[in-house]
Order: sequence, then structure tokens, then C-alpha cells
Amino acid sequence: MSELEYDPGLSTGALDHHADHAPGDEPEESAGHWVLNANLGLGFSLILTAAAFWVAVSHVAWFWGPAAPVALIVLAIAQMGVHLVFFLHVTTGPDNTNNVLALAFGILVVFLIVVGSIWIMNHLHHNMMPADQLMQMQP
Amino acid sequence: MFGKLSWSAIPFDQPIPLITSLALVAIILGVLALITVKGWWPYLWREWITSVDHKRIGVMYCLLGSVMLVRGFADAIMMRTQQAVAIGAMGYLPPEHYDQIFSAHGTIMIFFAAMPLVIGLMNFVTPLQLGVRDVAFPTLNSVSFWLTASGALLVNISLFVGEFARTGWLPYPPLSEAAYSPGVGVDYYLWAVQIAGIGTLMTGINFVTTVLKMRCPGMTYLRMPMFCWTTLAASLLIVAVFPILTATLAMLSLDRYFGWHYFTNTAGGNPMMFMNLIWAWGHPEVYILVLPAFGIFSEVFSTFSGKPLFGYRSMVAATLFICIVAMMTWLHHFFTMGSGPAVNTAFGISTSIIAVGTGVKIYNWIFTMYGGRVRFTVPMLWSLGFIFTFVIGGMTGVLLAVPPADYLVHNSMFLVAHFHNVIVGGVVFGLFAGLDYWFPKAFGFRLHEGWGKAAFWFALIGFWVTFTPLYMLGLEGMTRRLQHIDIPEWAPLLRISLLGVGILILGAICQVVMLVVSILQRDKLRDLTGDPWDGRSLEWATPSPPPFFNYAVMPNVEGEEAYWGIKLRAIETQQLSPEPTYEPIEMPVSSPVGLYTAFFASVMGFSLIWQIWWLAGLALVGAYVGFVVFAWRDVHEFHVPVEEVARADRARRAARGAQLERLAQQGAIP
Amino acid sequence: MTQADLPAAIETLRRVREDPHRLGHRGHDAEGPVEGAGHGASGPARKRIVVGYGFWIFLLSDIVMFSCFFATFAVQRSATAGGPTVSQLVDIPRVGLETLALLLSSYTCGLSFAATNARSKLWTQVFLLITGLLGLAFVGLEVQEFISLAARGITPQRSGFLSAFFGLVGLHGLHVTLAGVWLATMMAQVQIKGFRREIVHRLICFNLFWHALDIVWIGIFTIVYLMGSGA
Repeated sequence: MSELEYDPGLSTGALDHHADHAPGDEPEESAGHWVLNANLGLGFSLILTAAAFWVAVSHVAWFWGPAAPVALIVLAIAQMGVHLVFFLHVTTGPDNTNNVLALAFGILVVFLIVVGSIWIMNHLHHNMMPADQLMQMQP
Repeated sequence: MFGKLSWSAIPFDQPIPLITSLALVAIILGVLALITVKGWWPYLWREWITSVDHKRIGVMYCLLGSVMLVRGFADAIMMRTQQAVAIGAMGYLPPEHYDQIFSAHGTIMIFFAAMPLVIGLMNFVTPLQLGVRDVAFPTLNSVSFWLTASGALLVNISLFVGEFARTGWLPYPPLSEAAYSPGVGVDYYLWAVQIAGIGTLMTGINFVTTVLKMRCPGMTYLRMPMFCWTTLAASLLIVAVFPILTATLAMLSLDRYFGWHYFTNTAGGNPMMFMNLIWAWGHPEVYILVLPAFGIFSEVFSTFSGKPLFGYRSMVAATLFICIVAMMTWLHHFFTMGSGPAVNTAFGISTSIIAVGTGVKIYNWIFTMYGGRVRFTVPMLWSLGFIFTFVIGGMTGVLLAVPPADYLVHNSMFLVAHFHNVIVGGVVFGLFAGLDYWFPKAFGFRLHEGWGKAAFWFALIGFWVTFTPLYMLGLEGMTRRLQHIDIPEWAPLLRISLLGVGILILGAICQVVMLVVSILQRDKLRDLTGDPWDGRSLEWATPSPPPFFNYAVMPNVEGEEAYWGIKLRAIETQQLSPEPTYEPIEMPVSSPVGLYTAFFASVMGFSLIWQIWWLAGLALVGAYVGFVVFAWRDVHEFHVPVEEVARADRARRAARGAQLERLAQQGAIP
Repeated sequence: MTQADLPAAIETLRRVREDPHRLGHRGHDAEGPVEGAGHGASGPARKRIVVGYGFWIFLLSDIVMFSCFFATFAVQRSATAGGPTVSQLVDIPRVGLETLALLLSSYTCGLSFAATNARSKLWTQVFLLITGLLGLAFVGLEVQEFISLAARGITPQRSGFLSAFFGLVGLHGLHVTLAGVWLATMMAQVQIKGFRREIVHRLICFNLFWHALDIVWIGIFTIVYLMGSGA
């Protein structure tokens, strides 16, 4: 196997003081850093997961009706963030700009599809005649 | 043993599909026999079938797209003929056959003609314009192409074995559910589109990565040619929306194969969710097609006006604006579904807003021509025809974006005329401009100008004669997809429309003649320098056709319009830049994995359509084994020796040097 | 058109002669300001970045596919057609076990890549094996869940809601299964070929995929199971 990079002149790094990183990759970090990250990620995730399950099963008398689902959503988003930071090593550094931009684009698309679909279908559902009335209309 | 497949699947009793498919089989066998007799197989296998060169793959995509364009056009001719004769009569096409034809026409034109042609040009041009030697994932690129070809193959098999969908180019449930479409037609559609869609998705991933991560030194974002920007935007849209198509069609397949209830009208299924999801893919899809066409027009206007593109940055902004807003307009395809005034209004407004981005582009193209020295070449004619045609198509689109107006013409011939107006006027004209523009780069000689101009005028006039009557018929209340017509007053307009198709056929004949004449006269039309149009972007810095490694030394870009600066400096100083130091080049090795994958995909698709489960499982295992074998290879790249690099580049420099001398002798240099 | 004819270039040069300071044009000289210069301005990125980034983009498309199934689940949630509702499906202890298995597998997957970075073949393989076994446990629990539901007559053919439920959860299970096949193949490759450049690239991609599946599972256990248990 050749150790040549795609173009020989480019692996010198003379031009790249801050080469981009691949997502989930921090080439120059030591193994200890990776283990620490994984430990932190596991710890935070366990706490957040336990909290989510507790919210779901405890049936506490909440002060506000939809508080339980909102709390669950917040905990889920927090845990996704923990995974992104500690397991996928996504940071705000300049070497990660492209990765974060791609992620933001993906989140936008997911948001448009999920929220758009729910909004459209809810309005449609609202405008539809209830099924039992529809049955009565048939001769 | 063979699932639903039996001899009754072959249409012995229907002469039209039987004769067509027998003729097709005869042609294919003839071509294969010719290749065998001439002994071309080793060459084809080595240089084309297993090639991972983006230029070769691009050419193969364009070839596939052109063949399927003819196939889809044949469907269109049959439809227009049927509607012109079936007035107060039943015509020559029975309803079940007519329904298959309009479904096949839409499916083939979008998935297997327009997409391959667009992706083919993206493949051929983008790496050259970015100044690099290949795309980010060359082997994956080959897999993408062969998967697209596999989908096209399945659609065409449906002509001979079984039937095609009768549900339109988007199989709306509940009609497309197993209860109402029990045949294999919808299954052919589903698997053909799924397989081709996966290929397209991988192309999107490949090109996002290529444009963002593979640029030659100095090629900053705001120095990229416009076509690269539109490639990026279209690829981002592919990555964002093709998974929606995959998911939606997978849900429909689960309904059809296993009796689930995603989109049924019983047991809590919701057919309207299908419209919602499929158009969340379908609307961005038209921008996936038209954005690269916009890129082509930008290159053509700039080159043939002899000026930099007017408002380059506003063009970039408009492209990205369209890319984002394209994903927010999908409901305008089903205003009449009944989501109510709030939802309809929001999507009506977003649809009107997206026209602003296109408007910016139209003005920029006009201002690019202003003050320039315009050369009316064939690509320029297509581009001018585009502006005229597309603006009208766009305005009818804005009309349709108003929900109350849309209620009146929804699913009418007005709509049919509108989307042909933007897709033919925008995408097809753009593709013809691009094919004519980059043909000399791919093959080393230009296309015949006279026949090209004739083809353009026939196409432009033919288009308007065909579709103006359809606009009028739509306003008179004619709905789309009618197998026969009961209103005799519509006869004159339908027959004028058929006349227009005749003119379009003349245009298509001119295209074929142009190709043949150009090949015969190729020595006269030869492009010796690699810069036949006096171009401005980097692809014109290579010889025509470019060597497989594109650039002997990667270009160093110092400004916008990379090649233009290099060229002007050479003419000014009357010498080329000093000869660079050549080094060996690392290039990816060829690989048959694309063909293997497509083979197993085709077998799997076919056996799933006919429910031959054991064969589908066998194909899946075969595909996995193929992947493992591929993943186990040790040699990924080979080195082009420095002598070969130097020889190729010195030949290029000699041609350029000779051109400089000719210019000086002519006294052309001011 | 003759070959020597470069009309636009000649025309521009004539105009440049008339406008020597190029007041009407942007310069092409090397000293000019490098506008828009950013990452990647210095040539193609290294293979490791290209591969990782390409896979990142693929993951985004995969997440979009999941979002369609999530949206369908949200829309069909009450379309039970008189059949079982979501709260009748949820078995919190089992979901807890599944979640724990997947979370721990994400952790060991991260550790395996730390071992890869330290070029320790033994520990890479050990952690990959644990990851795979935890993944297998997850898939096993899910299959058991589906079988026990089917025994109660709860199948995707029963209602639109159940189609959406089995579709979403099943798609994730299918992903984990395929990732397991990939994992097994990867382990064989690491064993036979060692940490060659392209093998490490594939390990990066595998890590991304496994973590992404865990992120999707967070969405599933929150939206399908936990929010369903109270409904």
C-alpha cells in the first residue's frame, strides 16, 4: 500500500494550519482523551436516560398538563446533544465547520418534514368529516 | 417456484407491446452481435464498463439518458396521437394500455431520461471545473451509474414481461394498493424507482463531498464556476429528499406485499399521507433537475457573451435560496386535498417567494449579455430559447401558486402544459445546451452547427405549437390523462397539438442527423487546442478529450474564472507559463463492482416483482459476497508514471503554444 | 470559426488596453485579495476526511429517512381502527433493557476506536466484540417483543397505527442487524489486514453509524415508548 496521499504536495500541511476534521474523528488526540470522552458520554447518558424513564413511570402530579411529554422531549434532545459531543466528537471549532453545517442542514430537513407533515395532516384531519358521518352519507 | 411468473405474463395477444418489444430485443441482440463480431468486448469492459473515471461515467449516463429520452418521447407521440383521434371514439389504444403509457412516460422522463442526463453532465464537468482528478468516491460513482441503468432495465422489461403501472408517474394510493392494482405493474414501478433512487442518493452524497472537500488549490467557494454551485445545491437536495422517496415507496411496498395499512383506505390507513410524503420529495426533485440546468445556462451566457457572469454572488445566493425554499413548497401539488385556508395560504406564499430566486437569475443572465459581444452558437440559442420559454412557464406556475386559482385548473391540461413548459423549456433546453457545449470536451470535435440550429428551431416552435393548445384546453376544463374525449369542440386544438408533436419529431431527427454528420465530418470539426468556445472555466484548460487524470499538475487558482486569467496572461505575454515539475499521479483502479451490484440488484428487483422469494434471497447473498470481495482488495490506486504525465502535458502545451503563434501571426493580439 | 479564433479573449484584451488599471474588472493577479478563502482552499482534503465526511452526509440522509417514519407514526398515532392503542404495547422494563444494551454498546464502540487510535488490535477486537454482542442482545429483545405482541394478535396488519409502529421500530432494528453484519465483516478485516489506512477509515464510518443508530433509538424510546406509556 502506498503512503502517498491523494496528491503528494498536500500532506505536508504547509498550507493547512487547521485542516478540517472528519466527523467523529480527532486524529491527533491520545487514547486517554477518547476514553475520557466515552466515560463522560456514558455517565451523562445514563443520568439523562434514567431521568426520562423516571418521568415516564413515576406519574407525578405535574403542575402543568403537558409537562411530562415536554420534559421527555427536552431530555431526549439533551441526550442527543451528549451523544453528538462525546461520542461523535462534534465541536464548534473551525475545523468542524463543514460537519456542523451539514448537521444543521439535516436538522432543518428533519424539522421541515416532521413538523410540516404533522401540521398539514392535522389541519386536514380537522377539516375531514368524521368517519361515522361519512358512512351515513353513503346510500 | 417462479412466484407469479408464467407464460401468460408475455403479451402475445397485444400487438403493440409485443412488436415493440420484439423489435427492441432484435436491436439489442444486433448491437451485442456487432460488438462480439468486431471484438470490442475487451475494450468496452476495460475502458467503459469497469471504468471509474468520472468522464467515462458521465458519458455513459448521458447515453442512457438520451436513449430513454427517445423511449419516453415515443410514449408522448402515442399519447398525443391517441387524444387527437379518440374524440367521440375509442382511438387505437385501449384504456389499460393508455394508462400504462402515460405512467411510463412520466416515470421514464423524470427518473431515466432527465436525471441521468443531469447527473451525467454533473459527472463529466464538475471535477474538471474544480481542477481535480476525480470525484470523492470514484468506485461508488460507478455503482451509482449501474444501479440507475438497472432501474431503467426493469422499466423496459415491463414492456415485454407483465405490465407497467397504470397509476400515473406517482402511484397514488388507494388506487396503487394491492386491492385495486393487483397486477405487477406497480411493483415494476416500485422496484425500478427504488433501485435507481439508491443510485441517485449515492450520487448526491458523492457530489456534496466532492464539491465541499475536493477542490484544487486556491479554488475557494466564491471562485467556483456557477455550475459547481448548482451541482452542490442539487446534490444537497438529493441527499435531503431522496430518502423520503425511498421511505414512502417502502411503506407502499409493505402495504402491497404484506397487507399493512400505511396508505389504505381501510383500518386506519391514510392515503393523504402518501401525497404529503411523496411531494415532499417530488417538489425538490424538479429543482434537482432545473438547478444544474441553471448552472449550464450561466456557463453558456458568460462564455458566449465574452463577459464574466453578471452578479455572480447574487447568483450563488439565489441558488442556495432556491435550495432551501424548494423544501418548503410541496403542498402546492395538493392544494385541493383540503388542508384548509391556513395551510394553503402559507404554501401559496412560499411558492410565490421561490420565484424570486429564479427571477434574480433571469435578470443576471440578461445583464450578462448586456454590453457583451454575443455569439449566437447552438448552446446560446438553446439558452435564449430557454429564457423566453421558461419565463412564460414560470408565470403560469405563479398563477397556479394561488390556491383559489389552482382549484379551477388543478389536474387539468393547463397544469400539464405548465410543467412541460418549465421542464422542457428549463431542463431539456438546458441539457441540449450543455450537451452541445461540452461535447467537444468529451469527444474532441464540435457538433455540426447548422443541424444543431435546425434542431433548436424545430424544438422551440414545436414546443409552443404542442403546448399552447393544451393551455387553452386546460382553461376550457379538459382534465389530464383522458383516454378518449367526448367533447367535439376540443378536436381542433388537440389536432394542432399533434401537429406540434410532428414538428418536435423533425427536431429530434435533426439531432440524430447532427450527431451522424458531426461524426462523419469529425476531422473538419476537430478541436485541437481544447478551448473551442474561448471558455472561462478550468475544464477548457485541458486538451479535448482530457487525459484520464485530467490535470498533469493540479491548477493553482488565483481568482474568479480560473482559466480566463491564465489565458489572458498567456496571450498578453505571448508565452505559456513555465513548464511545471511533473510528478507521478495516483489514480483509482478500475473495478467491476458497479456492474456486479447492478446485476444482483436487477435480479433481486425482478424476483421481488414476481415474488420469487428464493431468487431474491440468493441475489441478496450474492450482493453481500460481492461487497466483501470488493472490500478485501488490496490495491486501490495505481501510479501514472511521470513520463506519461509529461508526454501528455507537453502535447497540450505544444497545441496551446501553436495557437499563440497563430494569433500573433494573424496580428490579432492588440 | 477557425481554430486560432479566440474572439472574446482578444476583445477583453483590447478593452484592458483601453483600461490599463482594470477599473471595470476584478483583477486576476496573485496579490489580489483572496475573498471567500476558507477551508479547502489549499487543495483536496485528505482521504480520511473525505471518507468520513461522505459517510456523515450518508448518515444525514438516513436520518431523513427515519424522520419520514417518525412523521408517519405521529400522524397515524391515533388511527387504531378499534385495535390496541400505544399504551397497550409498551413494556417499560424491556424498553429499559434495550436502551441500556444499546447505550453500553455505544460506549464500548467508542472505546474500540480509542483502542484503534492506540493501535491495539487486541483491545479493538475485544471492544468490537462486546459491541456486537450488546447489539445482538438488543435485536434479540426486540424480536422477542415482536413475537410476544404477535401472540396477542398485535400485528402491523391490524391497523394504520400498528403499521406505523412496527415500521418505525422495525426499521431501526433492521439497521442494527445490518450494522451487526457490517461489524462482523469489519472484525474479520481488522484481524486479517490490520490497521491499514482504508481499514481505519471504515472503522471511523462504522463508529459514526453505530452512534447514529443510538441517537435514533433515543428518539424512538422517547416518542414511541415513554410518551406512549402515559397516553
